[in-house]
Amino acid sequence: MSNARILLWCLLVGSLIVSADSFAAGPAEFDANSPLAAPRSLDQIGFPHQLYGWLIPPDNPQRPPKIALGKQLFFDKRLSEDNSEACASCHNPAKGFTDQQPTSEGIHNQFGQRNAPTVLNAAFNVLQFWDGREPTLEEQAKDPIVNPIEMGMKNFDEVVAKVEGIPEYQAEFKEVFGGPVTIRAIQQAIAAYERTQVSFNTPFDRFMAGDQNAISEQAKRGWSLFNGKGRCMSCHGVNPTQPLFTDNRFHNIGVSAHKSDFVPLARRALAILARGGGAQQLDELAIQTDMSGLGRFLVTKDPHDIGAFRTMGLRNLLVTQPYFHDGSQATLWDVVDHYNKGGVQNPFLDGGIVPLGLTEPEIDDLVAFMATLTSPEYARAAQAEYRAQLRRSRTDRPQRDTAAAMGLKGRNGPGLGGPFGDIGPDQMAENPALLGGP
Amino acid sequence: MVRTKVALLTAAGAGAVVAALAALPHALNAQQSIAHHQVPAVKDGNVVVMLCDGKTSMEIKGLKPGQRMSRDQAMGVARRLMAAWQRQHPGEHWQMAQAQSPPPGAPSPAAPSNEEQPANAPSPGAPAAQQIQGVPIQQQAQPQQQGDTYASFHERDFRVWQNETQKFIDYGKQVFHSDKLLGGTIGVSCDMCHPDAANTHPETYPKYQVQLQRVALLRDMIDWCIENPVKGKTMGPNDPRLRALEAYILAQRKGVALDYGKH
Repeated sequence: MSNARILLWCLLVGSLIVSADSFAAGPAEFDANSPLAAPRSLDQIGFPHQLYGWLIPPDNPQRPPKIALGKQLFFDKRLSEDNSEACASCHNPAKGFTDQQPTSEGIHNQFGQRNAPTVLNAAFNVLQFWDGREPTLEEQAKDPIVNPIEMGMKNFDEVVAKVEGIPEYQAEFKEVFGGPVTIRAIQQAIAAYERTQVSFNTPFDRFMAGDQNAISEQAKRGWSLFNGKGRCMSCHGVNPTQPLFTDNRFHNIGVSAHKSDFVPLARRALAILARGGGAQQLDELAIQTDMSGLGRFLVTKDPHDIGAFRTMGLRNLLVTQPYFHDGSQATLWDVVDHYNKGGVQNPFLDGGIVPLGLTEPEIDDLVAFMATLTSPEYARAAQAEYRAQLRRSRTDRPQRDTAAAMGLKGRNGPGLGGPFGDIGPDQMAENPALLGGP
Repeated sequence: MVRTKVALLTAAGAGAVVAALAALPHALNAQQSIAHHQVPAVKDGNVVVMLCDGKTSMEIKGLKPGQRMSRDQAMGVARRLMAAWQRQHPGEHWQMAQAQSPPPGAPSPAAPSNEEQPANAPSPGAPAAQQIQGVPIQQQAQPQQQGDTYASFHERDFRVWQNETQKFIDYGKQVFHSDKLLGGTIGVSCDMCHPDAANTHPETYPKYQVQLQRVALLRDMIDWCIENPVKGKTMGPNDPRLRALEAYILAQRKGVALDYGKH
């Protein structure tokens, strides 16, 4: 490295330190007063009113004072051990309720193993977290508060005592819940606020509502590929009743096979789980250890779930980058490249993951389609990100393996070498999108 | 692709010769060797409508090709033709099927009185998917997925599927009752001869259809009907309207045993 370069590095690092100091605390600043942080109207094109109606828990109805309290808690750094981290630190409204980092930074500059999933439309998830280890937003909301490297509170009693020590909260909890602060009430208030973060109204939604001009011809080709040759629809399911682009299940697509040797890792995890440490132990294994890559297996201990992670919805995915459970892929082109080559081979790979044979123009079409899933409030940011990713994709494609994608090598290569025989991409697959529908 | 010229109404059904309104001679219908009924020639160039028996027909005074009847007029024509057929076949009771009550769980029939139904109008018989609207799904104690990715489903999945299926069937019902959605040219819609899809016996397909002189699927007969009595253009088997019509007709016969080839 030349002297000039070293000098440049020093300057850069120096400026980073200065800027970190100027923020005083936490990895990312957020604005609780931003319009993006406000509860959203349900009056949006494509909003699934029926589904939403099914999902509100009878014991935690949506009420404005509770939602306001939940919002206050969501943005309150005092919920963390050193008053440096709020929920919003990693779920920043300006960044699509993520932190746009590969994995998230908690207190004392510690990083976890998982990419922060968005809160947008999380109300519709059947299970929460990448591995579904919690069933509801209520249950989910409590875990990061006591995770040692996230918000770092020792236990729920400490959380309740701290919140109760803040006079304004005392009054508000009394008003909303009719009693003192409890961890249950904190969970319910935060979940109620999170259920207001619903985001539809996209060009795609207008297209589905009948506006043929809402999306480009390129995006329409991408929609056809999404339904057909790209096989995306198999897991990222979408229909007018459930327009969320997810099947709400768990699949091993080979992401953590990059760096995990699953079998010894799974043995180690079973030995630890056998000690019976409960939900908190599970949370810590998922966030803090290399066993994180085992995904759903940590929850179910079922070998079929090794390396399986929840199918993420695709809405607003141009403001929730980077991608996958470990944030390992920077662009949507990388994501499509990953699927196009048939994922990363491992013994637990989902049977639906096969080479796709998508050509370069088809990959561009698919990404153009995904860009139509942006809600208007994020349109500008998403447009910039799309352009940046597009630029990057012309030169930088770490996941691209065209030969594998076209079935010319690896497990699908000539000579039927792989464990699955000669399953190759079906380039003649009929496109179900062309069949139409009401 | 083989273009299909089909009707919903079978001339061959056992004792169930039903009102189909057959087409004017189609000058351009030479693509296939499918049988087409020839209607009698009339002097003033009026439209002649024929039942699917290939015999019973009626001239509609003042209606020229390209003109459309009102719904009431069209229903009057259908009634008079059926009455004529009934006079010739006093022992047949084509409306028997209509009177049969559908099995439990099926949407209950109710002939719509208005021509245009509002979009997404639910079936009056409120199937399960609509009855459960707004009822929150119980939080389940068990995790949803345990290992078997493709065979473990949440209650919500079933609701979503039911809802989507019902919407498809409701759309089919709308098409069934709308000459406009059917693309008809004389104001006739399916329900005029097949109230609530009566006498369509979808459970008897595939079977040989004399109108087509070949084995037909239900959708082939629907498409024939669209071309002939309805006097529209055939839709082709992938048209969303045709698919929805087929879904609606099948849904009206939920629970009836399959009995292919039956006449």
